[in-house]
Amino acid sequence: MDSNLVQFKKGVLELCVLALLARSDSYGYDIASRLSAAIDMGEGTIYPLMRRMQKDGLVSTYLVESSSGPPRKYYRLTEGGRNNLNAQKAAWTDFTRAVAAILELDLEKTS
Amino acid sequence: MNERDSFLRRLRSGLWGLPRPAIDDIIADYEGHFDAGRAAGRSDADVATALGDPSRLARELRAEAGLRRWEDERSLASALGVIVGVIGLAALDLFVILPVLVGIVTTLFAFLLVGLVACLGGGFALPFALVTNFPGFMGDRLQAALLSLGVLGGGASLTAFCILFTIGLVNLLVRYGRAHYRLITAGSNSRLRD
Repeated sequence: MDSNLVQFKKGVLELCVLALLARSDSYGYDIASRLSAAIDMGEGTIYPLMRRMQKDGLVSTYLVESSSGPPRKYYRLTEGGRNNLNAQKAAWTDFTRAVAAILELDLEKTS
Repeated sequence: MNERDSFLRRLRSGLWGLPRPAIDDIIADYEGHFDAGRAAGRSDADVATALGDPSRLARELRAEAGLRRWEDERSLASALGVIVGVIGLAALDLFVILPVLVGIVTTLFAFLLVGLVACLGGGFALPFALVTNFPGFMGDRLQAALLSLGVLGGGASLTAFCILFTIGLVNLLVRYGRAHYRLITAGSNSRLRD
């Protein structure tokens, strides 16, 4: 993969996880499979990220009994995580809007 | 050997040195992932490929544990943990910054040594300067005392500066380390198929 693209994706991975969890609580496999389909990342990456977010107090965990096998670890967004999501979302929207404006300017010039 | 077992085995061996409960916790996460994958109808081989390289994952998890320890407690041991962990990530451009880093650390160490020696020397000389004249010293007692005090103070500030600089440097390494993981592309490692 292009290394620039990897850097881009790295930056938004945490934002995407926060956004997914804002909609509903979820477990590792579910988060990983949904994100890997959307942004083409290794599914294994999700666990180091979740671990870090948990230690940063952005998410908390709880166990849910599952019909098959051992209980599943669910992640829930904390108050801090929600605030973090809102801040990151605002920054992301501003940034992409600014970049889009510049790219369009460029298009008009060249055409 | 089954892909699931081989993945978990390689992950576990890569995590060697971390506290036992932390390793079990991490392994449990990945076991759960394989279970959920099976429940969703995927083969173990498929799940293992999508997870990425277990050795690389282990390196990141270890590096992160080292960075965490540094953030929790500022000590020489945890600073070394950061350095070892970041080097363990073996990002390619680390070979570019490594010589620079070695240079900086050596210089820093030299300054720290000078600072400490000046600090000790000044502190040692000060009481003597107050009660007696140094043989061969041209000035009077007050001058000798002030000179000792000056050396002591200079040494102390140099030492303090070196320590602050070291903390700043390690914090910078932490940021560098964090910038070099978080994303591993799936199936990037062909050894997984061995």
